Amino acid sequence: MAMVRKKERKVRYGMVIDVRRCIGCHSCAVACKAENDVPLGVFRTWVKIIQKGKYPNVSRSFLPSLCNNCDNPICVKNCPVGASYQRDDGIVMVDPHRCIGCKYCMASCPYDVRYVDPVKRIVQKCSFCVHRVEANIEPACVETCMGRARVFGNLLDPNSEVSKLIATNPVTVLKPDMATQPQVYYIGADIESMNPMKTGEVVSIGTEGK
Amino acid sequence: MDIQAVYNTPHHIPLGIFIAVYFYFTGLSAGSFVISVISTIGGKTEYKPIGRIGAVVAPLTLMIAPLFLIVDLEQPFRFWHLFVYLNPTSPITYGSFLLTIYPISSLIYAWFLFSGNQKLAKIFGIIGIPLAICTHGYTGFILALGKGRALWSTALMPTLFIVSAMVSGIALVILLASIRTYFFSNRKPQEEIASDRKLILGLGKFMGAAIIVDMFLVLNDILVLVTSSEEALHVARLILFGSFSHLFMGLEIIIGSFIPLALVLIPKTSKSLGVVTFASILVLCGIFAMRVVVVIAGQSIPLH
Repeated sequence: MAMVRKKERKVRYGMVIDVRRCIGCHSCAVACKAENDVPLGVFRTWVKIIQKGKYPNVSRSFLPSLCNNCDNPICVKNCPVGASYQRDDGIVMVDPHRCIGCKYCMASCPYDVRYVDPVKRIVQKCSFCVHRVEANIEPACVETCMGRARVFGNLLDPNSEVSKLIATNPVTVLKPDMATQPQVYYIGADIESMNPMKTGEVVSIGTEGK
Repeated sequence: MDIQAVYNTPHHIPLGIFIAVYFYFTGLSAGSFVISVISTIGGKTEYKPIGRIGAVVAPLTLMIAPLFLIVDLEQPFRFWHLFVYLNPTSPITYGSFLLTIYPISSLIYAWFLFSGNQKLAKIFGIIGIPLAICTHGYTGFILALGKGRALWSTALMPTLFIVSAMVSGIALVILLASIRTYFFSNRKPQEEIASDRKLILGLGKFMGAAIIVDMFLVLNDILVLVTSSEEALHVARLILFGSFSHLFMGLEIIIGSFIPLALVLIPKTSKSLGVVTFASILVLCGIFAMRVVVVIAGQSIPLH
C-alpha cells in the first residue's frame, strides 16, 4: 500500500462507544477472543466496571476499552524495528514477522492495551478486526454488541454513523493530554471509570469475579 | 465518593528486572570509562592504575549488558532485526548501534593504553567519552520517551542516568583499586602503595561530589513529581511511602547516598581505605536499587 498523506486520505477508521447503551455483558470481549484467537490471560478488549456511591444512592459504570488506534501513536514512534506501523486508514498494526518482542511499545503505551501473546511470543493488540474491515464487515465486538453501544466506521465520511454520532453528541477520549489523538470516542463515559488512579486496581470482587 | 473497581483486566509489567540489570551494567561501563579517560588525559603516572582498571572494566561490563537485553526479548533470535530494520524515531535503534560501536572504541582505547601508546590512547579516549555518555544517555531517553509512565516521562531522566552512571562507575573503580592494593601490595614498593592509597581516597572525594549532584537531581525529580499530575503524585507516594519505599528511601537514598556521602566527607572516616571501600560498596548497592525502582516502580501504577 503506497503511503498517502494524512490530509489526502479518504478513509480513517474509528469507533464511537455510547457508554449509555452498554449493559456490561462482556460479549464484546468474548467475541474478540473468539474472532482473533486471543490466548488465555490476555485481552484485546474488555469492559471495565466500577461502582460508586453509598446505598441507596449508587450506580455502576462501564468502560469498554480497546486500542485507541491513535492518530499520533507513540508505540509506532518508539518501535525500534518498525514492526508497529500505521496503515493509511489509520489502523495501528504489528508486523508478526518483524516484532522482536522488546516490549518497549507496551511500556510506552499510555493506555496499556498491548500484550505479549503467550503462544506466538510477539506483541499483539486490537486491530479493529482488520481482516473483517477489509472484507467490508464490522469488527466482531461491534457486530456482537446487543445494545449497539459500539459503532465503527469511517471518521472522514460526514455521512457515516460514527461521524454523525460525534457531530451530534458531546464526546470524549481517554487521556487527551497524552497528545496521542485517540480515535475511540466515548459518549457518556463516567470520569471515575476513565481515571486509572481511582479504579485501576480491583479492590472488591463482585459477582463477576476478577 | 466511594468508588470501587468491580472488574478490570490485570495489569502486566512489560519490562522486568533484566532491563534494570542492563541499565546498571551500561551505567557501570560508562562511568568507569569516563574516569579511566580522565585519569589518562591527566597524564600523571600515579593516576595510571585508575586508568587501567577503568579501561578493563568498561568493555567487560558492556559485553555483559546487552546479553540481558537479548535474553529479555520475546524473540531472542530476531535480535538482528535491530540492525536491519531501522526506525529513526526510536531511541533503541540508535542504542543498538551505540552498544556496538562503544565497546569497540573502548577496546581500542584499552589496547593503546596497555601497549603504552599514550598519545593514541588519549585520542581514542576522547573519542570514547561522547560514545560512553550517549550509550548510557540513550537508556535515559528510552524511559523518558515512555510517555505513559509518570515516573519516566521527564526531561531529567537522561541527565539523571548519566550522573548516576558516573557515581556507580567511580564506586566500581574504587572497589577494584582497593582490592588491587589490598591483595597485590606485598610485591610493590612502599611509596607506590602510599600513592595508590592517596589516589583511592581522592576518588572517594570525587564520588562524594558525584553523589551530591545525583541527590540534587533526585530531589528535583521528586519535588516535581509530587506537584504535577495525579499519576505522578501516585507514583511518588509509591516510592516514598509505598511498597517501593524500602528500596528507594532505604537502599537508594539512605544506604546508597547519605551514608557513603557522610563516610567520604567526614575527615575522620574519609582517611581510611577500608571505610571508603565500604562506602563504594554501599553506593554500588544504592545505584542498583535506583535502577530497579525506576524500571519496576515506574510501571507499577495502573494505566487503565
